[in-house]
Amino acid sequence: MQRKQRLSRNTAYFIPYMLWIVLFVIAPVLLLIYQSFFDINGQLTLANYQTYFSSNTYLMMTLNSVWYAFLITLATLIISYPTAYVLNETKHPQLWLLLIIMPTWINLLLKAYAFIGIFSQAGIANQFLSFIGIGPKQLLFTNFSFIFVAAYIQIPFMVLPIYNSISELNPSYVNASRDLGATNWQTFSKVIFPLTLPGVKAGIQAVFIPSLSLFMLTRLIGGNKVITLGTAIEEHFLTTMNWGMGSTIGVVLIIAMVIIMLLTGGGKRRTRKGLTK
Amino acid sequence: MAVNTQPIVRLNHVYKSYGDHQILKDINLELEAGKFYTLLGPSGCGKTTILRTVAGFTAVTSGDVEFDGAVINDLPANQRQVNTVFQDYALFPHMNVAENVAFGLKLHKVPRNEIDQRVQEALAMVQLADFGDREISEISGGQQQRVAIARALVMRPKVLLLDEPLSALDAKLRKDMQYELRDLQQRLGITFLFVTHDQEEALAMSDEIFVMNAGKILQGGTPVDIYDEPINHFVANFIGESNIIPGKMLKDYQVEFVGKTFECADGGMRPNEAVEVVLRPEDLDIVAADQGKLVVTVDSQLFRGNYFEIVAYDSDHNEWLVHSTNPADEGEPIGLTFDPQDIHVMRLNESEAAFDARLEQYEDD
Amino acid sequence: MSLHRFKWRNLYLWLVFIVLYAPIIFLIVYSFSKGDTMNNFHGFTWSHYQDLFADSRLIAIFLDTLLIALLSSILATVIGTLGALGINNTTKAITKNTLLSLNNILMVSPDVIIGASFLIFFTALKIPLGFGSVLLSHIAFSIPIVVLMVLPKIQEMSGSLLDAAADLGANNWQLLSQVVVPYIMPGIFSGFFMALTYSLDDFAVTFFVTGNGFSTLSVEIYSRARQGINLEINALSGLMFLMALVLVVGYYFINQYSSRHRHTATRGRRK
Repeated sequence: MQRKQRLSRNTAYFIPYMLWIVLFVIAPVLLLIYQSFFDINGQLTLANYQTYFSSNTYLMMTLNSVWYAFLITLATLIISYPTAYVLNETKHPQLWLLLIIMPTWINLLLKAYAFIGIFSQAGIANQFLSFIGIGPKQLLFTNFSFIFVAAYIQIPFMVLPIYNSISELNPSYVNASRDLGATNWQTFSKVIFPLTLPGVKAGIQAVFIPSLSLFMLTRLIGGNKVITLGTAIEEHFLTTMNWGMGSTIGVVLIIAMVIIMLLTGGGKRRTRKGLTK
Repeated sequence: MAVNTQPIVRLNHVYKSYGDHQILKDINLELEAGKFYTLLGPSGCGKTTILRTVAGFTAVTSGDVEFDGAVINDLPANQRQVNTVFQDYALFPHMNVAENVAFGLKLHKVPRNEIDQRVQEALAMVQLADFGDREISEISGGQQQRVAIARALVMRPKVLLLDEPLSALDAKLRKDMQYELRDLQQRLGITFLFVTHDQEEALAMSDEIFVMNAGKILQGGTPVDIYDEPINHFVANFIGESNIIPGKMLKDYQVEFVGKTFECADGGMRPNEAVEVVLRPEDLDIVAADQGKLVVTVDSQLFRGNYFEIVAYDSDHNEWLVHSTNPADEGEPIGLTFDPQDIHVMRLNESEAAFDARLEQYEDD
Repeated sequence: MSLHRFKWRNLYLWLVFIVLYAPIIFLIVYSFSKGDTMNNFHGFTWSHYQDLFADSRLIAIFLDTLLIALLSSILATVIGTLGALGINNTTKAITKNTLLSLNNILMVSPDVIIGASFLIFFTALKIPLGFGSVLLSHIAFSIPIVVLMVLPKIQEMSGSLLDAAADLGANNWQLLSQVVVPYIMPGIFSGFFMALTYSLDDFAVTFFVTGNGFSTLSVEIYSRARQGINLEINALSGLMFLMALVLVVGYYFINQYSSRHRHTATRGRRK
């Protein structure tokens, strides 16, 4: 069609973007995979993968990381779904949504830092526990604090996609369901929830994958008790300088990510081909 | 009738296809300056594609598009002296009414004060003189429609292309706009090429109609010609309501259907040729069963306000649609009468050229 | 009954709201506290803010962070917008889908993967780590969000709008500058703001590619937070909260602007 020709006759403007794709999307992933086949002395080898898959430490760490990501995602989902649902019923949902999202504009490190204060030995959380008679507990540097802070940080990212799918839900479906004799609970479980499942899946995707790699939280809040895949990668790249092993874990993380995306439906414009290439 | 004036737009054996899909098949048409033309057909028949080839949005696969005698196949849309009113109006949402109308003039570097004057004239022409400062989102659909017309007319095109411009309006507004568009065209004296799928709209507004189906022009002519003398089953069916009955042409001016022989006004066919006979529902008069040229049995009827629409069946099980001012009794036989001129006989698969030639030949005797 | 339920619902929302904001408010409150822990409020003081403004290292880092954010988001907006136009112009569905998939890789990849792979990339190309590598990284991870913000605007623009402009005499350049860009401007602005917040917010990627000499606020906060409580950071968070507020308000108004300038009725809330 002539309209297409009119705009695409000159494709020079597209070059910077294509360069970006080649240099910053394709090349780094290929380099990471390439690097995973080198040991710390620069020798081409499969040793990294052998080490990874034969070592209890690495496998347990991977399982742990997935388990914690699962717990974080679950906690986030349980808090976020009702939030999104109630949000949709309010008079000014857009305003509420903005208020829920606004904390994401605050630097993540600052929020983590706040919890160092809140959860510290003599901090406000322990003061409260003392006040109700439980007495001070070790809060900081526990698995609980890691999950709590991670969930805290991720809530808005779960609320947003769920809210979007709930607000797009045509109210006629709900009315039709009531009209056909469904109870509130039946309407929710048979109509509303299935129809908002895409939002839930998008939310899971948005929360689970980052949860595998929150190394700063494991360091600041988890006190290195929880080692996630992300922590291990950071350790290998920036501390022990074993880039080969770090890249191997990176490849595992990428594979985990692809699996998550396949499980959560891949999404309309989510990547698949690009990654496995 | 030979056309001796130079046509303003001419399509010469135009074909258009996307891959294997043929959208236009051998389109030939000539538009004279100053007339109101309509491309009429069901959706997907290729009428909008014809419009787009004239506007320059769509390149033809083969054939020529001529404007004022020159082939303009390769002339880009922004250099053609035609302007378009789009189905969705395509008003720029980031400009107000006056800015929309001024857009084309600014691109053509028309002096500032002349722009203001012409914009004002154009808005006055569509009765929106005081609306220049309004945002597009603040005005109604009908007003947007007028702005779209003003925006095209302000360019003073020789040909104005209108792509189903009334389809988004409600029935009442659509009627008003039909009058207004027709009036505008006659006042300005420029050529309008109007695309629609609404046959009533086409009949009401046009000097000439091209009826299209499946990428072909089936018949071109004045609204009266096309209504009274449809070339084939499709046209007869598409334009107005019709009873189309299989028949046999015994000889000139004598046709047989439902087992009876009738006098008619058509000729020029082979003896005993199989034909189709068209009788319009409003041309049929109801009489007592024993006085009718045909006897049919009433099946059902609907009250349509100014007439009763009666569905009846003859002895050959042909369905008959009759418009009558009086109701009939369901299940009862009635007689139908009609004049010989009301009978229109169509040959099967006759080309437009052959049809025209035959019409001239026997009407001359 | 309905009144009863209504109350419970709002209560829940308020609870979530409070939990989300409490730590932030907590931080800011203690930025005004005498003493040096976040345990008990010891009386009002501006001294942590004075320390902050006297901390020339932190000020320099703050300015660097802003510079990186502005430069990277402007460049990412330009490249991303051109990219979105290009993607929109691809005729083959398979090309378009491949481009979109590639575009979204950096959107869904965990930060550590982006950081680590960029580190390998810069090292392989012998690009020194520092301002340049951080800037390049920020541009790189901001481009896809710009594309995702701009592309729907381009696609929402009906084809007949372009036809209409050409019909009225616009050439390619006029088409782009007078119709397309003004039309998609709200998308471009959203993209720019998202890029800005991505850049200001980023820690992990920067942490990998920053090297020794150069630092951004996030990295600085991380290294200071690892050493324990320092109320100067609280003061910093007070300032950054203000900045975030300005960004939010700015973004909100741009959204308002864009919805006001829509000719089709916005898909309003059904209720």
